[in-house]
Amino acid sequence: MSPRVRTGAALAVLAAMLMVTGCARGIAAGGNGGADGGGELAGRTIEVAGIWTGAEQRAFRTVLDAFERRTGATVRYTSGGDDLPALLNSRLAGGSPPDVALLGQPGVVAQLARRGALAELTGPAAEAVTANYPEFWVEHGSVDGALYGVYYKVADKSVIWYRPEAFAEAGVQRPRTWQELRRVTRALADAGVGTMAVPGADGWVLTDWFENIYLRLAGPERYDQLAAHEIPWTHPTVVESLELLDDYWSADRAIQDNPLQLTFVQAVADVFGPAPKSSMIYEGDFVAAEVNRLGTVAVGEGARFFEWPSIDGSPPAVVVAGDQAVAFNDGAHTMALIAFLASPEAAGIAAAQGGFLSANRNLDRSVYPDPVTRQLADRVMEADVLRFDLSDLTPQAFGGGTDASMWRLLQEFLAGGLEPADLAGRLEVAAQRDFAAAYEMAPPGAGDGR
Amino acid sequence: MSAAGTAGTAGTAAAPATFVRTDVPRLRPAPTVPSGPPRPGLVRRLWRRASEVVTQVTVLGVTAVWLLPTLGLAMASLRTAGDNSVTGWWTALAEPNQLTVENYVALLSNETILRSLWNTVLITVPSTVLVVVVGAFAAYALTWLEFPGRDWLLVVLVALIVVPVQVAILPNARLFDLLGIYGHLAGVVLFHVAFGLPLAVFLLRGFFRSIPQDLVAAARLDGGSELAVFARVVLPLSGPALAALAIFQFLWVWNDLLVALVFATAESAPITYALREQMRAFSSNIDVIGPGAFLSMSVPLIVFFAFQRYFVHGVLAGSTK
Amino acid sequence: MSARARTHRRTAVLFLAPTVLIVGALVAYPIVFSFWMSLRSADGSRFVGLANYVEMLTSPGTRRAIANNAVWVVVAPTVVTVLGLMFAVLTDRVRLVKAVRLALFMPMAISFLAAGVTFRLVYDEDPNRGALNAAVVAVHDTFAPASPYPGATVREGSGLRVVDDGAVVTPGTVAAGAVVRLPLVGLPADAVPGHAGEAVPPAAGPGVRGLVWRDFTPGDAGTPGVVDPGEYGLPDVLVEVLRDGEVVAETYTDAYGRFVVPELAGGGYSVRLAAGNFTEPFRGLTWLGPGLVTPAIIGSYIWIWAGFAMVVISAGLASVPRSAVDAARVDGASEWQGLRLVTVPFLRPVLAVVAVTLVINVLKIFDLVLVLAPESVQPEASVLGLEMYHASFTQLNTGLGSAMAVLLFALVLPGMAWRARLLRRQELR
Repeated sequence: MSPRVRTGAALAVLAAMLMVTGCARGIAAGGNGGADGGGELAGRTIEVAGIWTGAEQRAFRTVLDAFERRTGATVRYTSGGDDLPALLNSRLAGGSPPDVALLGQPGVVAQLARRGALAELTGPAAEAVTANYPEFWVEHGSVDGALYGVYYKVADKSVIWYRPEAFAEAGVQRPRTWQELRRVTRALADAGVGTMAVPGADGWVLTDWFENIYLRLAGPERYDQLAAHEIPWTHPTVVESLELLDDYWSADRAIQDNPLQLTFVQAVADVFGPAPKSSMIYEGDFVAAEVNRLGTVAVGEGARFFEWPSIDGSPPAVVVAGDQAVAFNDGAHTMALIAFLASPEAAGIAAAQGGFLSANRNLDRSVYPDPVTRQLADRVMEADVLRFDLSDLTPQAFGGGTDASMWRLLQEFLAGGLEPADLAGRLEVAAQRDFAAAYEMAPPGAGDGR
Repeated sequence: MSAAGTAGTAGTAAAPATFVRTDVPRLRPAPTVPSGPPRPGLVRRLWRRASEVVTQVTVLGVTAVWLLPTLGLAMASLRTAGDNSVTGWWTALAEPNQLTVENYVALLSNETILRSLWNTVLITVPSTVLVVVVGAFAAYALTWLEFPGRDWLLVVLVALIVVPVQVAILPNARLFDLLGIYGHLAGVVLFHVAFGLPLAVFLLRGFFRSIPQDLVAAARLDGGSELAVFARVVLPLSGPALAALAIFQFLWVWNDLLVALVFATAESAPITYALREQMRAFSSNIDVIGPGAFLSMSVPLIVFFAFQRYFVHGVLAGSTK
Repeated sequence: MSARARTHRRTAVLFLAPTVLIVGALVAYPIVFSFWMSLRSADGSRFVGLANYVEMLTSPGTRRAIANNAVWVVVAPTVVTVLGLMFAVLTDRVRLVKAVRLALFMPMAISFLAAGVTFRLVYDEDPNRGALNAAVVAVHDTFAPASPYPGATVREGSGLRVVDDGAVVTPGTVAAGAVVRLPLVGLPADAVPGHAGEAVPPAAGPGVRGLVWRDFTPGDAGTPGVVDPGEYGLPDVLVEVLRDGEVVAETYTDAYGRFVVPELAGGGYSVRLAAGNFTEPFRGLTWLGPGLVTPAIIGSYIWIWAGFAMVVISAGLASVPRSAVDAARVDGASEWQGLRLVTVPFLRPVLAVVAVTLVINVLKIFDLVLVLAPESVQPEASVLGLEMYHASFTQLNTGLGSAMAVLLFALVLPGMAWRARLLRRQELR
């Protein structure tokens, strides 16, 4: 009856779509000059590569559309997913990189810049960056003193998200200190409402855990030294931080079972989905985007956040990360796009759609669609202690990929296979190897004389 | 009935000799009357009847299990991401109102996926046509023309069938870069043509050989050029082999991911590549991945059901690739 | 040279030129070039001898990949061939043979990518979503019923012990007449059944008696280990009373969490809440976790290729002389004996072809692993084809990537020889 009819209808639609696909494509290809032919870049095609897929990709598309309308250029977006560096490398090897890429790892940007694959930002692009961005972000967009990137999208990685309903059931308040966090976790466990989801399948989450603890325990100066590998990973502050981490992760019932199988997306669903298993998850502001996707609870009501708790009286500190737009050539069209991405206008379009934080100081923060996002943006713009994601600052082989040393070792640690001191020792061995390799590695394109 | 048998005038020809029997296996009904042995006793017959029932049930069970994964993907693609994140596809069997074409409608407005589907067509069609045409010329030369080194060349070409694609990735990336076709559709097509040709030569030569020599000789005596013999005599008789080859090559290229990952870019990316990108966050992008994957496999499936005979033939012949 | 021979040569050159050129440049030459690059450094700038091969064979990542390839090569072709034979024999004697064979062969039309997506859904760890775990859990739960209070555990500081299997035991000994308190936590409020009442300790009296309750009051209002207002008793908990390690009595708690075993007198008892009260529900297996990921991926490969083996073997079956099978049957051989002693020997060449084909195919496996293995377990699931891709394009090490490509090529060399020999035997009379 009903199921059969529906399935039949679905199949019919499917078949129709197969036929339509060809036609739709014809229209899309024909619509190339959709921007009225006006504008100084009419007829130019600019290619942008980024990691975004799905909703994030659609949001970025609206920004690119605005640029197209304004300049007449056509912008093509390529998603590289998590393999974006691999995609760029293979494209560079073949001599056809995109014009612009949005990269999440400053370490990759530095490697690309040092081997001459990137164009320094000049003209309107450079002006827009210095005019709109605080010094911190300009510095982090620079390699060896030259400006290469603009942080188009930034992330606040020092918040912990929780389910207020669960907190109410356990009768606990938002913790402000590390001790309070542990007490709250214990109370949540006793109340049987679920505790902390640690998505250990995604190694980057674990590095973020460590960074927040380390920044608070060791302070910003040590943090900078460790990021640059000026102090070894066997430093007492590192071991102490790892001990704190171990205390929390391995406490009885403190975290959701089987963390190594838990991916970030799944973990958000396990906290804010229809059948919650946990009541807290630590990760950045982008958790909100996943919560919205799930649609079970509303951000700000069924999903709220608190600041990463203070350790031994440490002052508030924010670990940030971001995706920077870099240029692979210094063509006027490329620089025009970068300049646009650095403008308050582009930031405004993206911010209004939610799931987006900008570091653009000339952005009117009232465009953020809800108070939670605005609050997160305020935190990034007004933080006293602001530090960039440490693992992102290290070479890719150490901190920035699926098989990266730091990811794997922390996963092993989470699985309970390593003591803090052993882990520190292994991290140091890996750091020595990976930092050395990153500086000696030559570009693949260098050998073929281009 | 062999594939060659359908070729009309060449009906007397033996099945083309390939490494396995390439004639399409006969799908025979089970014999209902036992032949040979004398009629067994009642107990024996009952026993046999029971075992037939058990066999039938087992086979149907296995078949159901084999169909389930595909059915699951189809059902999942017809449910919202929200439903998919909470319950399995089978719950839609009890609550059919979960089914919706929403994902497919959204996919129709997804420019990236549509472009990649179109790219898949743009890559697959020329690769298939070129392999069939170029391969047919070569196979003709290797079958009906006499020249020194012919056998040697044939052996080398056939041996190259098993070369892993991986061996050629880095060298060809450099070569395509030099030629300026890296990242372009042309590069992807060329790569597939190169890796399709050895098999094409092997498959077509095996078939061409089964064409009676008299036919070719007669055509030559009539004053036909080699091109004319090829076009008027050999090709018309080779429909089944060309179809089998075309289907295999089509399938191979349509389903490829590795070559696309390396040699395609956003503009030239086929559907496999586009879906692979979406898999970064599998569970949250299932509303794109599910229908995308189902759409991408529906074309080979349609080809499969429409041309079963040639399909099986082609896949069997090409399986070592 | 005759005119005809000249025409032949000229035409042959014309007809063969495109093929020879394309295959030569894009298939044959790269083999040589890969070998050359494998002897050079990561960026191809200098000669490094066999360093890349040494690295390949010593780095844990590639060694794991090679080990995985070995598992693949041994397991996948064997299982596929055996299944294919079984399918071929079984489908030969059923109704709807054509439809059944089509269904079994259909996965061959699907890309590894689409198959990967399909099996991600099958292998999803959550039994609410993953079909395989849903089946496994359903079977498990028919044999082992669910426990009433999964996940409950003892209140910290209550002195109760959780023994290895998960049972809760009182410390020391208990005498008849005393009231034993067994506070439990870790249970959500909605896990308390509807018929439960607020916890009430049993009145003093003869026998062993006590109370099991959910010792949790939100916030700081409650006192651990004490029955605070609003705390509910836990009904239907299986309580065992032990003496010298032997169970002397069993009872269940009532709606208020109370239990009484009046007939027991004296001391030296201990009270145990059986592990079965708290067993976490079985959640199935982590198919795509580090331990099972390679078998799981091989499983999906079998799904794709079993139909292929079936079709090839069916074709071979048709050539087994019926008279031989019938003769065996007259001699009183069972079905199984007939298959083993008559059919299989006849099929041996076909089975060999299937197995060799699969070995060559399996050596090159790449897409299925890339797509099906979640990122976090990709290193565990890695195979040579995938390592080669990562070495070349993630680590930018063209030397190492080429060395892996050469190894892969070396592994299929016997396959090439086999191909050429078959051709010689069958075609070049």
